[in-house]
Amino acid sequence: MLRILLINDTAKKVGRLKSALTEAGFEVVDESGLTVDLPARVAAVRPDVILIDSESPGRDVMEQVCLLSRDQPHPIVMFTDEHDPGVMRQAIQSGVSAYIVEGIHAQRLQPILDVAMARFESDQALRAQLNARDQQMAERKRIELAKGLLMKMRQCNEEEAYTLMRRQAMSKQQKLIQVAEQIISMHEMLGN
Amino acid sequence: MPDHTPAPRHDALSWVAGSDAPEKNVLDLGFMALADSASLIVAATQGFAQPYGLTLNLRRQASWAGLRDKLVSGELDAAQMLYGQVYGTHLGIGSPATPMAILMGLNQNGQSINLSTALREAGVTSAEALREHTHHSGAKLTFAHTFPTGTHALWLYYWLAGHGIHPLADVNSVVVPPAQMVTHLRAGRIDGFCAGDPWGAHAVDEGLGFTIATSQSIWPDHPEKVLGVTREFVEQCPNSARALSMALLEASRFIDESPENRRSTAQLLSAAEFVNAPASTLEPRFLGHYQDGLGHAWLDAHPLRFFAEGAVNMPYLSDGIWFLTQFRRWGLLRDDPQYHELAGEVHQLALYREAAGALGIAVPESMRSSTLQDGKVWDGSDPAGYACSFELHALAERQSLAL
Repeated sequence: MLRILLINDTAKKVGRLKSALTEAGFEVVDESGLTVDLPARVAAVRPDVILIDSESPGRDVMEQVCLLSRDQPHPIVMFTDEHDPGVMRQAIQSGVSAYIVEGIHAQRLQPILDVAMARFESDQALRAQLNARDQQMAERKRIELAKGLLMKMRQCNEEEAYTLMRRQAMSKQQKLIQVAEQIISMHEMLGN
Repeated sequence: MPDHTPAPRHDALSWVAGSDAPEKNVLDLGFMALADSASLIVAATQGFAQPYGLTLNLRRQASWAGLRDKLVSGELDAAQMLYGQVYGTHLGIGSPATPMAILMGLNQNGQSINLSTALREAGVTSAEALREHTHHSGAKLTFAHTFPTGTHALWLYYWLAGHGIHPLADVNSVVVPPAQMVTHLRAGRIDGFCAGDPWGAHAVDEGLGFTIATSQSIWPDHPEKVLGVTREFVEQCPNSARALSMALLEASRFIDESPENRRSTAQLLSAAEFVNAPASTLEPRFLGHYQDGLGHAWLDAHPLRFFAEGAVNMPYLSDGIWFLTQFRRWGLLRDDPQYHELAGEVHQLALYREAAGALGIAVPESMRSSTLQDGKVWDGSDPAGYACSFELHALAERQSLAL
């Protein structure tokens, strides 16, 4: 039976994943301790498979575990054996990263990954598919317009107007387009 | 190559429509919550990319490993990367080997090695005292860095070894995510760490640690973060890669242009969605003001910088090769690689020359000479000799000593 170490160090809940894996007949060790102790816990638990949230800062600690264990039968990145970008992309998008011990065939990992991908509570927002080029051209025109208005108001040149707008935006933690819109509406309000 | 005058903004639309048009105009850009990511954040939010027909989506990452995986799988188009990490990925150290490319340097300087308050109270406030402590006290000290093939590991190793402390034998070295460094330092789980700002400054500001060495004291104007892409990306989207480099070069120039611009950059970065740290911690370092938590404050001659007339951004071959020599020195590479050939493959010099040339930014020679803290000169000329010239090393090991 494969022993799975489930690392639980982010806000995502692994509860359902743990029970689903247990039901599927795997031995699951659930760890929610300190990231800094990860190498020691991996050494103590000696898992066949390690699952961790792709968004966990602990990924970098696992990186060291993998590197240190290259010459020993310890966990390695699953993608070392079968570098299939499709599988890798699928796993990344599902928000789960897996590591397996050298010598275990990647096929044996598939049922685990299937369960993990289905059960892992992913909070990834659907990416808005905007017509980016149109938006970009529209923003560019608005910025140009605001720059022109500012050049007139401040009697300055193009570069100075850009610098003024950018400084304003950065100190307010805004985007340039937001400041441009403010200049345009202020200009409209003051009746040109 | 012909001289170019800076491209005027009103002509920039020719980039969008002409044969130089970006193959891909929406780019997902990975970054970590660090002061070093300034040029990416400024370029994406302050309209530096639109003139080139690009929209930049900023994607903050939780780990360097995650950032690399997303870059390799195509989820990210380009990312801020640790210099050594690009080579680690290219060579398959700790991950599958994927051909990588460096488009440009993003910043120099600005990292630091910090020790705990407990060590300060024990009188360990100098490198010499640390060496004594390491060799004569029973328990091994534990030092944290951020990634096995990263710059912080190598600055830490170089500094310790330069003061007679073997980083893989005399102390424990562990990886800790940068944002957790100060918490672990306070809890006594680590005795020191090497990371980028704002984390060093944060430890000092909170009175939880002190800076024993800045990275610029190890190597003045050292290379740090780079703009990394896969080689596949640069081959398929050379125009996007060039346009992205130009947008970032312009943003870098803008940041370094005046103290006002540096100050507002720090304010922008402090936002929750970017670095999420107090502006009061970020701002002094952007202005070159340093303090070490031991009562010394100074205006640094080699502060965190992003442009310096292009000196920061040139992807010097000798910089890349230095990281390879340190991989070799510490056993991450068991044999000498083809140093110059490797750097020539990874660094996209022709593309950088085009981007910088079009903006009228000077392009220096591809090799540079530097003198490091121990007086050793590195000019890229004899990497194999340099790699085995150090008294402390792990040439025969493969990191097996490190746990």
